[in-house]
Amino acid sequence: MTGRRSRALGLATAAALATVPLVVRRDDVLNFLFLVLLSVTLAESWNIVAGYAGQVNLGHAAFFGLGALTTRALWIAGAPVLGAMVAGAAVAVGFALLIGAAAFRLRGAYFAIGTLALGEILRITVGNVRAEISTLPAATIAGYRLAHRYYLALALAAAAVAVVAALGGSRLGLGMRAIREDEEAAEASGVGALRLKLLALALSTALAGLAGGLFAYYHISYYPAHPFSPTWTFDALLITFIGGVGTVHGPVLGAVFYVFLKEYLAIRWVDFHLLIFGLLFVAIVLLLPGGLVEAAARLGALARARVLTAIRK
Amino acid sequence: MTPLFQQLVLGLLIGGLYGLAAAGLSLVFGVLKVLNVAHGQLIMLGGYGAFWLFALRGLDPFASLAVVIPAALVAGGVLYWTLFGWVVRAPEETRVKNSLLIGFGLALALEAAAVRLWTADERSVTTGYAGAVLTVAGLAVPVVRLASLALALALCGGLHLVLARWRWGRAIRATAEDWEAALMTGIDVRRAYLLAFALGTALAGAAGTLVSVGYSISPSIGLEWTLKALIVVVLAGLGSMLGTFVGGLVLGLAEAVSATVFGGPYREVVGLVVFFVVLVARPRGLFVR
Amino acid sequence: MLEVRGVEAAYGPFLALSGVTLTARPGEIVALLGPNGAGKTTLIRCITGLLRPRAGGIRWEDAPLDRVPAHAIVERGIAVVPEGRRLFGAMTVEENLELGAFVPRARPQRAARLEHVYTIFPMLRERRRQITRALSGGQQQMVAIGRALMAGPKLLLLDEPSLGLAPRLVESIFDVLREINRSGVSILLVEQNVQAALTLSHRAYLLEAGRVAGEGSAAALLDDPRVRRAYLGPLAR
Ligand SMILES: Nc1ncnc2c1ncn2[C@@H]1O[C@H](COP(=O)(O)OP(=O)(O)OP(=O)(O)O)[C@@H](O)[C@H]1O
Ligand SMILES: [Mg+2]
Repeated sequence: MTGRRSRALGLATAAALATVPLVVRRDDVLNFLFLVLLSVTLAESWNIVAGYAGQVNLGHAAFFGLGALTTRALWIAGAPVLGAMVAGAAVAVGFALLIGAAAFRLRGAYFAIGTLALGEILRITVGNVRAEISTLPAATIAGYRLAHRYYLALALAAAAVAVVAALGGSRLGLGMRAIREDEEAAEASGVGALRLKLLALALSTALAGLAGGLFAYYHISYYPAHPFSPTWTFDALLITFIGGVGTVHGPVLGAVFYVFLKEYLAIRWVDFHLLIFGLLFVAIVLLLPGGLVEAAARLGALARARVLTAIRK
Repeated sequence: MTPLFQQLVLGLLIGGLYGLAAAGLSLVFGVLKVLNVAHGQLIMLGGYGAFWLFALRGLDPFASLAVVIPAALVAGGVLYWTLFGWVVRAPEETRVKNSLLIGFGLALALEAAAVRLWTADERSVTTGYAGAVLTVAGLAVPVVRLASLALALALCGGLHLVLARWRWGRAIRATAEDWEAALMTGIDVRRAYLLAFALGTALAGAAGTLVSVGYSISPSIGLEWTLKALIVVVLAGLGSMLGTFVGGLVLGLAEAVSATVFGGPYREVVGLVVFFVVLVARPRGLFVR
Repeated sequence: MLEVRGVEAAYGPFLALSGVTLTARPGEIVALLGPNGAGKTTLIRCITGLLRPRAGGIRWEDAPLDRVPAHAIVERGIAVVPEGRRLFGAMTVEENLELGAFVPRARPQRAARLEHVYTIFPMLRERRRQITRALSGGQQQMVAIGRALMAGPKLLLLDEPSLGLAPRLVESIFDVLREINRSGVSILLVEQNVQAALTLSHRAYLLEAGRVAGEGSAAALLDDPRVRRAYLGPLAR
């Protein structure tokens, strides 16, 4: 898709989604869309560091969790929710920069398992320190408006997509992709690899922290360790890969597909979606590294070729 | 709170299983340069194999090793043919990364399948002698766990012998060191890969069986066991199965100490922190010789 | 008999061999000479099946060799002492040697061959239980040659066996090669030590930038003023 056309399409989609709460009064629809939008944000945020900079971060949930933890605490203590979310993002980024310099000494799969360990360290520690369930005060529950959460999720998802789209065409994004393809060569041609990787991580974790804040704002009660669970990382990874890793549209497409199937299948068979997604994911890694986006592009090209030959005849 | 020495005994006992769990992962990683993050899920399946044999056929869990190990060998062969055999064609860096992703998808699928087959409940194989306890110098030593430790040692030792003496065992070691040189000496490295993967899976199956007797299994234990095995591999390095076993014991003891010092819930954290620090301190030296 | 005909080989877009033709007849020692980067190792990799030629063909004993999988080449009777030796450094000397006799055709005689290798290189018998990595460069080269001999080859390929060795050692290694050849093994020897290689071999090929730039009997090439200038120049004694 060309830049202008896809931007127009994106704006139109966002506008259409913005009218949904005005038209649809059903909470289940809003909840479903909320989940899609949260997933878009989380997946796009993971996509920055993993898809563009090529660093498979398996500890992504830690940053989502830190955002949730901070936001929830500040918000319940009386801070405005937007301020609390920004603080959550700041904490996530701060932690990312703290561990980033060390973690980025690791390459490829070692970075992946190293960050997986980091995520687990945080999850277990938070589970130990904050073992009790976190529930909103009664007054807040009474004033709970789903539409507020929905609009926040929409704004965040739109921002995430915009960030990734802007990154895609920028020098920054180009440098990140150079690192993904060949870090040594990138370094040799003057790309400051560590600086760019840290930048990618900061961008990525800022969005993840905001998404965590949104999670904290959305849920009435949950265990504080839950947003630290590696399943959040895995969701982001599945969505991004199924949709198309390192693309702007991939995570969006992936999120719609993933959440739809997940919710649909979960009604019938608990956890069955993971069996399907696990296998689908393996198939995509082996056979279709470009994900749904590439599949769509190929189908599109095929169809165009058909049409063209038909016209010529 | 359990006194330190009792903790150490228990740590040593489970450490043997960490060693066994790591031995399979280490073999596969060392030879194929493939990081199978579904290793823990294979352990989990081994545990359910033993659980099934016990529940349906009344087979003693230790005896069921004689069924689980061959079955896991075959399963490993199938997994190699269908999945990991495709990855080894790629150059090394892509190989590790792709294997990680494939292992990850496999892990999800296996875990979900296990939930469907056996529900998400925790299970363990409770034999008639499950409660037997030896008392040595005032310390309680559960007999089943002691037997598991001995078996884990025997299996690691057995693998060591296989790799040292068997013709194809040597071929596997040669392939691990330099696959091109192995090709040039006439070794079919694909076959060496297949054998190593099957052996690694068999060890995972055996480890799972032992876990199901002395401890407990559920579909979700996979990630935890993968991490334990990874920690041991990082601590012990590649290349020596007995070294890996000792690495497992060390992790068990370290967990025991940290559980006593920081409290039980932090048992896991210490190993992970050590893992991360060691990994970062030796980012390249670790896995290359 | 080995026949290489018009072989082209490439690393990605880079053409390392552009049409190389050479032969090695039974009982011959053939030297393959050329400057760094000429493509000598690349040709060895093609013959041993590690690299597939892009064009041309390789035949061995009147059957095509270039579709045979790499691990099956040894079984056909071709063994190699690769560039840089490529020993299994964490294994003992004897394990390395035994791995040389891994293929089925070599297994029946492996005890006798091991004895034979130990007779040629008595040093290795003393160090048979040592880890190969701990050996000196010269001893490692002996292990590499011994490992190739364990396969009982009809054709032995050697890629710069003298690299990094003291002159006296080179001499004794070349003596061993002469002995091996007398026992009926053909040899294709890649060398930068042109003088020594031409003294040892019957015929030689000059490889330059991926092409054969000259060939002939070793004696004729030794006397050829052009060869003397290009290859033996300052080193000529
Ligand atoms: N793996 C590779 N990838 C890309 N190019 C390569 C590779 N190996 C060799 N080359 C190139 O192919 C050419 C021939 O290399 P080759 O190793 O065959 O030379 P050689 O004659 O053996 O040289 P030397 O005397 O240094 O061993 C060289 O220009 C080299 O740079
Ligand atoms: Mg060379």
